[in-house]
Amino acid sequence: MSMHDATGDAAVARRVDDRSAGERMVAALRSRTALAIALALTLVAFWGLGYREGASGSDLLSLTIWGVMLGGIIALGAIGLTLVYGVLKFPNFAHGELVSFGAYGTFTIMAFLPAGAILRPFSFGWELLAGMVVTMPLVALIALAVDRVLFRPLRVRDASLVLFAMASLAASFFLRSVIYLVWGSDFMFFYPGRSNPALSLPLDIRIQADQLFVFLLAAILVALTWILLSRTRMGKAMRATANNPDLAQVRGINTERVIAATWALGASLAVAGGVMYGLASQLRPEMGWFLLLPMFAAVIMGGIGSPMGAIVGAIIIGIAQQVSSSFINPAYGPGVSFILMVVVLVLQPMGLFGQKED
Amino acid sequence: MALLEVRNVTAGYGDTEILSDVSMEVGEGEMVTIIGPNGAGKSTVMKTVFGLLHPREGSVHFEGEDISKLQPYQIVERGMCYVPQVSNIFTELTVSENLEMGAFLAKKSEIEARKEAIYAYFPRLKERRHQRAGKMSGGERQMVAMGSALMLNPKLVLMDEPSAGLSPKMVGVIFEQIEKINKAGPAILIVEQNAQLSLRMSDRGYVLASGRNRFEGTGEGLLNDPEVGRLYLGG
Repeated sequence: MSMHDATGDAAVARRVDDRSAGERMVAALRSRTALAIALALTLVAFWGLGYREGASGSDLLSLTIWGVMLGGIIALGAIGLTLVYGVLKFPNFAHGELVSFGAYGTFTIMAFLPAGAILRPFSFGWELLAGMVVTMPLVALIALAVDRVLFRPLRVRDASLVLFAMASLAASFFLRSVIYLVWGSDFMFFYPGRSNPALSLPLDIRIQADQLFVFLLAAILVALTWILLSRTRMGKAMRATANNPDLAQVRGINTERVIAATWALGASLAVAGGVMYGLASQLRPEMGWFLLLPMFAAVIMGGIGSPMGAIVGAIIIGIAQQVSSSFINPAYGPGVSFILMVVVLVLQPMGLFGQKED
Repeated sequence: MALLEVRNVTAGYGDTEILSDVSMEVGEGEMVTIIGPNGAGKSTVMKTVFGLLHPREGSVHFEGEDISKLQPYQIVERGMCYVPQVSNIFTELTVSENLEMGAFLAKKSEIEARKEAIYAYFPRLKERRHQRAGKMSGGERQMVAMGSALMLNPKLVLMDEPSAGLSPKMVGVIFEQIEKINKAGPAILIVEQNAQLSLRMSDRGYVLASGRNRFEGTGEGLLNDPEVGRLYLGG
């Protein structure tokens, strides 16, 4: 085997020496730097296209800021998605439904809470935040239950990736059906008919206080997640398990406990994402399902398994989606994230922050 | 009573039987080497002892307790650690985090002191403690792997070919450390290609061939046995 490797290496070395200018260019295009430049150019092109369609500078600036906010929402879902991928090694198509459950769960919990005063300049009261905090562990329990019933038996049998992915797709349909059954298919609002005027800011930027709040909350939760992953023992164990599951077991890490913690963390962040998304628009049963494509695009752009990458990817996707609405129908938003995802897969499938196998 | 007793173990994967009727012992503080040709089942012995593979017949006892059906983390709790031959570090974590993961089951208050003890064995690791472990050289990686396994102050350390892929100079350094570690307390069960070097340091040794016990004896005894020498030590 080592002899075969040696001849293989020699062949590779020869190819590298002999490659033409064209081949060298292809290799350069497939680097991480090239990907970063391509993404930056795409955003610049989007701004240019928007400007040509008659959007003013302040319009584009507002759209960009909204994009960062949307990016924050996407990031809250994408971090969970990328962590679950890292630790359990499968794409969880049911992650969007955890987002939806977060929004609907909070909606229901709020009905049991006394409606407090509106926290001006925001459009919501304390009951929204309290509802969100109560819903987090509940949705975490749903995620753990799905894991116990569906994914754990597959893990025990050492099932293939395809089975995991299909099972998660089934879970997605199932959970969405539960939402239709319990809450119905009508759009719902946390605060129907409540006015939510834009703040008056310099440069003619139009942003609602709620949007700033969404971004701030996302930033705080992302920072807390970062601290959890880099400072706490369970967080480090999650990274260790994602990096090398076999060795994690050998080192005495109880991987089932790490998996449970990963679900709980991913679900809690998804709840926050769902509530913020519901606050920024409205509640509908497919809200999380529609968010799944941008979430996956962010995860792939950042490098699968990298939480930091997912955050950066989410913000780029968010900005691209919002700014694109200045020159194409906003309904094409998910298409924009899909195109960006394809660009990443063609240029550098490992994403901006993905790690090579050492 | 021996610290570790492997009693008539038969084990394998799927339909293939790799070990048949293998028995061995490691006493407290002993250093024991397993040698044998490729495919003799040396690594399989390690995996079976450590609960990564469960014996079909026979049993494994640690301090008198039957551990044949335990999971690796339960075996770690009882005071045994394992240094696999390949992918034995967390490449994405720093050196210091790798060591902490070795002590996942320890009390938080003990971790810092244990880390210092490991840095005393491997001063190189202290210099590079904030370095991502995947960026280190082969020898340094082996130090990280051994250091992580020692974090819980185990009674027995299993080492699978610690010298594999290292430069001759590094092999010397690593074996010096193994000897030091062994003198400081834990028993060591080691699988090694570098049979001469390893046997010379060992109290006892086993020769495994085709998944069966072939010879056993003191390290010195096996080195001087003409048949072992001819068959397994390359003359």
